[in-house]
Amino acid sequence: MDKAIVIEGLKKTYSNGTEAVKGVSLAVDYGEVFGFLGPNGAGKSTTIKAAIGLLKPTSGKVYLDSFDIEKYPYEARISKGYASQETSVDDTLTAYENIYLQGKFFHLAPKEIDKRAKEALQMFGLWDRKNDLVESFSGGMRKRLDIASALIHEPKILFLDEPTLGLDIQTRHAIWDYIINLQKNLGITIFLTTHYLEEADKLCDRIAIIDQGEIKAMDKPGILKSNIGGDIITLTFETKKEKTNSFINLIGKMNNIKSANMLKNNVCRIVVEKNGDQIIPIIFSLAQQKDISIGSVRLKRPTLDDVYLNYTGKTIREAESTKEETKKERLMMRRMRKK
Amino acid sequence: MKTLIIDSYYIAWRELKKYFRQKTRLIMTVVQPFIWLVLMGNMMSGLTSNPYAAQMLGTGNYLTFMTPGIILMTVLFSSIFSGMSIIWDRRIGYLDKLLAAPIRRGAIPFGKMFSAMVQGGIQVIIIIIIATFLGVKFKTGLAGILVILFIAMCFALILGGISLAVAVKIKTPETLMAIVNFFMMPLLFTSNALFPLGVMPGWLKAIAKVNPITYAVEPMRTLAVTGWSTSIFTGIGIILVIDVLVLLWTQWVFKRAVSE
Repeated sequence: MDKAIVIEGLKKTYSNGTEAVKGVSLAVDYGEVFGFLGPNGAGKSTTIKAAIGLLKPTSGKVYLDSFDIEKYPYEARISKGYASQETSVDDTLTAYENIYLQGKFFHLAPKEIDKRAKEALQMFGLWDRKNDLVESFSGGMRKRLDIASALIHEPKILFLDEPTLGLDIQTRHAIWDYIINLQKNLGITIFLTTHYLEEADKLCDRIAIIDQGEIKAMDKPGILKSNIGGDIITLTFETKKEKTNSFINLIGKMNNIKSANMLKNNVCRIVVEKNGDQIIPIIFSLAQQKDISIGSVRLKRPTLDDVYLNYTGKTIREAESTKEETKKERLMMRRMRKK
Repeated sequence: MKTLIIDSYYIAWRELKKYFRQKTRLIMTVVQPFIWLVLMGNMMSGLTSNPYAAQMLGTGNYLTFMTPGIILMTVLFSSIFSGMSIIWDRRIGYLDKLLAAPIRRGAIPFGKMFSAMVQGGIQVIIIIIIATFLGVKFKTGLAGILVILFIAMCFALILGGISLAVAVKIKTPETLMAIVNFFMMPLLFTSNALFPLGVMPGWLKAIAKVNPITYAVEPMRTLAVTGWSTSIFTGIGIILVIDVLVLLWTQWVFKRAVSE
């Protein structure tokens, strides 16, 4: 089994009956950055926790560096590092003490810890602050320290659960550079979860889209995007809807057009196989012939959000807001019942 | 076994580092028993002028009678909140970090209990120093003081373990505080920590006799007031048995909770 991570039919049902993960299977190659993309509550963290042995799966198997995590928990734990989404560093300790303790928990000799702590802290730009208490650190520095301490035992695999959650855009970009550096220079296999599309697109060699505990699609970001079509043209009509319907049907029958659909508010979405920029003048001249007035036009390449939309029927933002709304509704219902 | 001890040591190392860095907590460690000793000592000093009361207490110095009670009370107040650390560790994700490392899982409660024991020991030493300055004379001298320290530390281990076992199932610090506060005062006042068993009404005496605090205070008071006696082994034996049971129980509860 020459794979860094193998997950076979992983299921996790909580005691309250919630099916958080419904049979996830995947394999990650050594040196690959693999992303788990999905909104909050999609089952990302449950999968990662079950994969590293923090949660007992209801069924399924996990192999890390070829070690079955149930049969060889010690070897499996040694082979991986883990940084949780909560940024689990101890505020009352210094940066060095945090990393030293982590080294001790991995049973390293003091000399070895000294050497590796220096390397890790230097790599993440924290060496100068090694003796400062973590309580004085910014969110980005804490996250860097958390990842640095997860690397103290030189793991082959690094699990990062939402590595940039809650960080500002500048810090997020800095963390991305560190992650890219880890893969390129140290050859570490990285398994990360994220609900930031841009992050998955930028960092991952392959991604799996997870929704409601199931993998909906899994491939290289470029392939996933090209699978849903080439370019996307969005038109906004100024002409009444009754007149534009026949026009859209006409466009849909043209060569090189994959689909043409009317959305809300007189907006039409056209998916083109390739060279969308060359199609636009043709659409405009056709519109002129049919006496259709076009207010605006937009051409874009497909993003992971379009991929997400394609496989789950909603954008990732919609999925997140739906969950937030459900929470708010439940809270309101509880309050009303109390009254 | 060696790994368990080493892992527990580093868990305790972290807790103790935190303890020594929290200056307010350290100051309160000294101030609280000082206030108790001075306040209670002065308030109740008139009691021993009554020969009957002095006979009941076994000493003419109320402070000497009360010091073992204050020791127990201070250890109780600090160790019973040990579980708080596990709630915070879970909240900040540190518990997951520990569980993801190749340490023996049992080392997590062991280390935290050991830290509660050491913290309790430090507080006891401070109380004994303050009490000595206030005129308390321990009948059994330094050797007796060391046995008192040992008993108090064993008691801290029990409380730390119970607190951790309860906290491992609890999600918020507020819930733990509510549970602890509910049990703490009744436990204290239904023991012989502040008053001798002899002056208690029958029903209270019956409760006090099954209260573990009584079995920790009894040998300490004997060592402070009466002197060396074989009767201390009963209390010490009971405390040690409870220690072993709590250690096993905490291990079982913790391992069950984290493997779900």
